[in-house]
Amino acid sequence: MENGKKDILLHLYGEASSESDLRSLLRDEDLRKEYTQLSEAKFRLDHMDKQRPDQAVIDGILAAAASEAGLPTTSSKLDRGPIARHPQLKKVLIPVLSIAAAIVFGIGIGWFGASSESVSGDFPQALAEHENDLVPPESLFRFVPSRQGGLSQVAATDPRLVWDDSTPLHQVQRRIENMRPADLLDWGEKAVPLEALPSSSRNRFRTVGSNN
Amino acid sequence: MHPPDEVLVARYMESADQAAFSTLVNRHQERVFGYLLGMVRDREIANDLFQNTFVRVIAALNKDRGTYSVQGKFLGWVLRIARNAALDHLRARKKWQDVSPMDGEDDTSYWDRIPDDGPSADVLIQRNEQADTLRTCIEGLPLEQREVLLLRHESDLTFREISELTGCSINTALGRMRYALINLRRMMSATVIKDLTEVSE
Repeated sequence: MENGKKDILLHLYGEASSESDLRSLLRDEDLRKEYTQLSEAKFRLDHMDKQRPDQAVIDGILAAAASEAGLPTTSSKLDRGPIARHPQLKKVLIPVLSIAAAIVFGIGIGWFGASSESVSGDFPQALAEHENDLVPPESLFRFVPSRQGGLSQVAATDPRLVWDDSTPLHQVQRRIENMRPADLLDWGEKAVPLEALPSSSRNRFRTVGSNN
Repeated sequence: MHPPDEVLVARYMESADQAAFSTLVNRHQERVFGYLLGMVRDREIANDLFQNTFVRVIAALNKDRGTYSVQGKFLGWVLRIARNAALDHLRARKKWQDVSPMDGEDDTSYWDRIPDDGPSADVLIQRNEQADTLRTCIEGLPLEQREVLLLRHESDLTFREISELTGCSINTALGRMRYALINLRRMMSATVIKDLTEVSE
């Protein structure tokens, strides 16, 4: 490259030696024209936006720096490297993982369904076995205070129970009571008169607060 | 208020000062990443190469301390590692064109040496954003011209530092820069002319 062209390029980038005089160089028309053209391109480059790496990359580097220096790290985002370096791997890995997840999900659903059936089948029997455990203790009941004397006598012989709604046992008891009819009745069966039922079963239809 | 690179490097090496290392990374991230992105033309790959570069830097500062000699040229040292990583990648992708320095760098050879897999003229013209067009034009430059341009504009190296880093003479570095600017201007002008022609039609 000619010295003149080299010198105007050095002037353009502020790296010219002191003895080189730009003014004298630009007296040459060709050099002046080239200087203008190069300046135009350089101007555009000077105003080009700067590019930065992703923040995850910076975080990973700083974590690696702390790790190498023996300091505790809070993140280890360097793991992103291999996936990103092998786009083919990413293309294969994602479908394989999706299929595996779907299979595991399907097996899980099947297992859950089977276990649900066995639980629901055994539930009434198990409930009957622990029926006494689920009955709230006597301390949870109390008599309704009467305002009139006549009614107070009735209440003494026929106590009307008031449940403490804040007690979880009450909620369990209420659910048990609601489930008993479903336990005994089948929608497919014909209607049976109450008198036809065994006395032990009939007793189970008592509702809370009934006189029997 | 702004400690020089060598002070920060010493703090990290001697007392594992994370803040010092973080300052170094933040200070030079644009210079290193801009160079890498311009070379490989793929942001994801540039992220990987940037990460690999600084992982090597960390390893060198902590274990292989002999590989880094304190000469007041931390950025040049990092860019040398980054350049090796970029060239390794380009060689692996077989995109590296081994052209001898200043070999026929005239108007004709430039057009002959535009990579076949680069963006076509039609693609260039369709991109109306000036910044995008500029970057696309840079991508279309021959690799050796593009590298000097990136090292000068993205990494802020002097032509002497560029010649030391790339192993060429300063005249070669200046010649590549001159052709890069001339070609860029032509490509930009061609894009504008074609845009105007399409508008008038």
